[in-house]
Amino acid sequence: MNTLVKLRYRFWPDKIFGELLQKPWMETAVPLLVLLLVIAFFSARIDNFISITNLNDTLRQACELGFVVLGMSIVLIVGGIDLSVGSIYALCNLLALYCVNVLGFGMIPAVAITLVAGGVLGAVNGILVGYLRMRAFLTTMVTLIVYKALHDMLNATVGVAISANFPDAPAWDYLGFGTFLSLPVVLWVFAVVAVAGHVFLTRLRAGWHVMAIGGNRRSAYNTGLPVKRVVALSYVASGVFAATAAIFFASRLASPGADTGKGLEIVVLTAAILGGIRLGGGKGSVMKAVLGTLIILLLTNGMLRMAMSAGMSRVILATILLLAALLDIRWFKNRHKAVQELYVSPGYMELPEPPSTAADSGSPFALNDKLRQVETIGLGEIESPEDVALDADDNLYCGNRHGDIIRFFAPDYKRQEVYAHIGGQPLGIVMTKQGTLFVCVGGMGLYKVNPDRSVEKVTDETNRSLFSIIDDSRLRLADDLDIAPDGRIFFSEATIRYEMHEWPTDSLEARGNGRIICYDPRNRKTHTCLRNLIFPNGIVMASDGQSILFAESWACRISRYWFDGPKAGKVEPVIENLPGYPDNLNRASDGNYWLAIMGVRNPVFDLAMRKPGFRRRMSKKLPGDEWLAPNLNTGCIAKISESGEVLDVMWDLGGENHPMITSMREHKGHLFIGGIHNNRIGRLRLENADPEFADLKEAGNA
Amino acid sequence: MLEVITQKLGGLMGLRRSNLAVPILDGVFKPNNLLEEAKVLAEREGMEDMAIAPDGQLLVACGSEVLACNDKGGLSLVAGYDAPITALAVLPDGHRVVALGDRIEIEGKAVPPLRDAAGKPFRAITSLSLSRDGALLICDASAQHNTTHWRYDLMEKGASGRLVSVDPSSGAAEVLQSGLQWAYGAWQAQDGCILVSESWHHRLRRVGKGSMGEMPGYPARITPTADGGFWLAMFAARMQIVEFVLNETDFRREMIATVDPDYWISPAYSSGKDFLEPLLSGGVKQMGILKPWAPPRSYGLAVRFDAQRVPVMSVHSRVGGENHGIVTVLERGEEVLALSKGAGRLLQLDAGTIRRANAIGGEYV
Repeated sequence: MNTLVKLRYRFWPDKIFGELLQKPWMETAVPLLVLLLVIAFFSARIDNFISITNLNDTLRQACELGFVVLGMSIVLIVGGIDLSVGSIYALCNLLALYCVNVLGFGMIPAVAITLVAGGVLGAVNGILVGYLRMRAFLTTMVTLIVYKALHDMLNATVGVAISANFPDAPAWDYLGFGTFLSLPVVLWVFAVVAVAGHVFLTRLRAGWHVMAIGGNRRSAYNTGLPVKRVVALSYVASGVFAATAAIFFASRLASPGADTGKGLEIVVLTAAILGGIRLGGGKGSVMKAVLGTLIILLLTNGMLRMAMSAGMSRVILATILLLAALLDIRWFKNRHKAVQELYVSPGYMELPEPPSTAADSGSPFALNDKLRQVETIGLGEIESPEDVALDADDNLYCGNRHGDIIRFFAPDYKRQEVYAHIGGQPLGIVMTKQGTLFVCVGGMGLYKVNPDRSVEKVTDETNRSLFSIIDDSRLRLADDLDIAPDGRIFFSEATIRYEMHEWPTDSLEARGNGRIICYDPRNRKTHTCLRNLIFPNGIVMASDGQSILFAESWACRISRYWFDGPKAGKVEPVIENLPGYPDNLNRASDGNYWLAIMGVRNPVFDLAMRKPGFRRRMSKKLPGDEWLAPNLNTGCIAKISESGEVLDVMWDLGGENHPMITSMREHKGHLFIGGIHNNRIGRLRLENADPEFADLKEAGNA
Repeated sequence: MLEVITQKLGGLMGLRRSNLAVPILDGVFKPNNLLEEAKVLAEREGMEDMAIAPDGQLLVACGSEVLACNDKGGLSLVAGYDAPITALAVLPDGHRVVALGDRIEIEGKAVPPLRDAAGKPFRAITSLSLSRDGALLICDASAQHNTTHWRYDLMEKGASGRLVSVDPSSGAAEVLQSGLQWAYGAWQAQDGCILVSESWHHRLRRVGKGSMGEMPGYPARITPTADGGFWLAMFAARMQIVEFVLNETDFRREMIATVDPDYWISPAYSSGKDFLEPLLSGGVKQMGILKPWAPPRSYGLAVRFDAQRVPVMSVHSRVGGENHGIVTVLERGEEVLALSKGAGRLLQLDAGTIRRANAIGGEYV
């Protein structure tokens, strides 16, 4: 049974769903899927549903409808609605036919006049809604009725005249029937307009204004955007697009029918919303409008060819509109929840029974109060010093959560200053003999602070792996580093799935989300050395200069990785089954290593690690504060040898004096202690330590 | 089946309602720090229950001893027993009644210890109180587990507790209510209605008449006050994770089978002393501080109800405090005594201060 569970969590890609949902293009993928389903359905039911002639005709209709949908989309994106498109369309159809058939205008003046007329009709809406602040729904419904009445009156007077004349205007006919490179003209025009619209919405300032106003009208106003003008212009655009559609319709059918444009607004609205354009505004794209249009057109055509009555297909369309609108509201309201629920994807991890920590157990990890004598530095003045480093003059450096490097001045460490401001939270830091500080910055990457305090980016990206859905080329959580004798910098990235502020959530997954990365200053290249590590954290160069020791926090183990020499590429365990979660590793003066244990395992959490389903449901059903967490309130410091012997362990019984330890650094007979959730730095006098030892690195020409 | 379908559908549409919701500490339950700041009258490991004799003497059950506590907090031995005392009461005639887990000994009566009622032996007597007609109301919390194994009863969803009424002079017993989810206190109102604490149900049950509203904590003993109301001690506050684990059968079984009960996901009388206890992410110390609104593994809480059985005020010791696991509260004039089982402390509070802190009488402090 357990083996089955293990296999299932090893091979079934749970995490993919959450990662896919996070992608912005997922919203377009849904209507695309619907479109494919519609095509598949009707192709199965109707012979020749997809044939060249049928396609040609469908495409002409699609493009006409597409223009109107585009106009509607812009209005929707701005946060309004335009119900009058059908009537504008009908009026423009009449006008265009009147110009060509009765007045005998050529194609260009007829088109120009119709477009202007469409714009003017839309502008009426625009002024009413944009400047006079009337309700979009009511206003456009009124104009729908008024324009429709106008159309009916005009149609009665000029309809016969239009029908009686057959103009000789080849350019005009070309619009309706012509093809260019064997595709209908209307398609080319639509393609150009669609591409332009896409560029407009995504790349141009005015398009961003449209999106911003739809997203939040008040904020847009407060940032100084011309809200009223943009809203008004969106209705003008809608009118022009309706006129464009009408022109092509007129040139194709030349029919001043009384029913032209009737019910068009419902079709257009359905198309836009099915495509994924929000009713609430602020979201939408040309691609979505196009997809929605195609879906609707194929649906209506399909229903027509299945000999469904007009009433029936109207009912079906309306039902689809209702469902789409419901889905739209629900989806956008709950999307982030769905992502959150699906994103955390726990894996199976079985840890052996931990070594005892009981004071009388005789275990190397037995509780003691050796940390009782820790002096505090900067208590309450420093927040989140994850790691500490000292320079040749004994000054103390650490990061804080405001994104600074803080320097405490030797010898008493009472005075401090902001040494440099980086912006992201500094995690692991090392000091070189030359006085350069190398810093892993959460959310930013690997940085260095030169002796003149200038901050410089070393690297913030690595090679992207082939099959990852989330972009793992950017560094999300660079954690700790060390420098090889040849200047190469090895650093860990704890997780690629979580950001700096949510790193504890990664503990729920216990998956190999982390990696070890190498930056080579000689060719300024960054590459990933090891993948799929379970929260790799501390890194320290081993004595041979060819390998590193690294800690994997949630896996509670220390391993050794050879990057050079005869064993290059090999990973071997050093210590498995620690009683807690290992964090930073650093050198000790006697050739051994200091290991910070940031928290202690507890039996329930270990049990939960073997129950991925339990953890997944927990992350879905409970608020984050109620999730089981690794106990980071109590930590300890251990001294280990390169072969994995535990030589000494120092606890602070009760955690009164120095709760929470994530790092430590030995310097001239003292141990300096940092902690990511702490508000102090600890300093402990070491017995039998080399009083001249300083943990300074040899920097290459990085 | 239908429920599962509607849940799934509702989840899809974002309409799902959580069945893991826990009432928040607001209104009458709004947190203060009165219990934490209260004067510690006496401190000794193992305090379990207390009662006031008719002569005004305060008696405290601690371990297997009954101690007398004077006004200065000095403790002196009154009587010793051969087993840990789990509940204590004093009859109107001054005789002590002591529960020793599965039996009751009545001082000065020749009758042998009471060991069963209605043919079923007592198992976990958690509370002794008096009804209006002088009968003894006995809460036998569970038929499966004794009082020290209360976590098993919670995690196995025990519902085998009962409320028994015994005539102290004749020993005649009557089961008033059975099938209770850990009965932990009883009280009779002036109108005769009897309330019983049902800890795992988070409610006070009106015997024979259903339950009162859901509460944010696990109710424990109920003690009468002079104005006809009562104090309800709550031995812990609720956490959503506990409700969640109660729904996770597989996890719960394995936890029961493999983990020491002290380290289970469950409420506790006291917490934070041992790093092997489970920790929730809200309980991770930030900048050296454990936030008082972190999920409460243990909590100090007692609520005062008026004669209409309406909660009117509460006293708290919040997360990160010491005086947790309140099991008995007594009101003696303007003095309120609370017994913190978690800290092993007898706490003394001033009723006026409690009223002011809860803004009773229009005063905000």
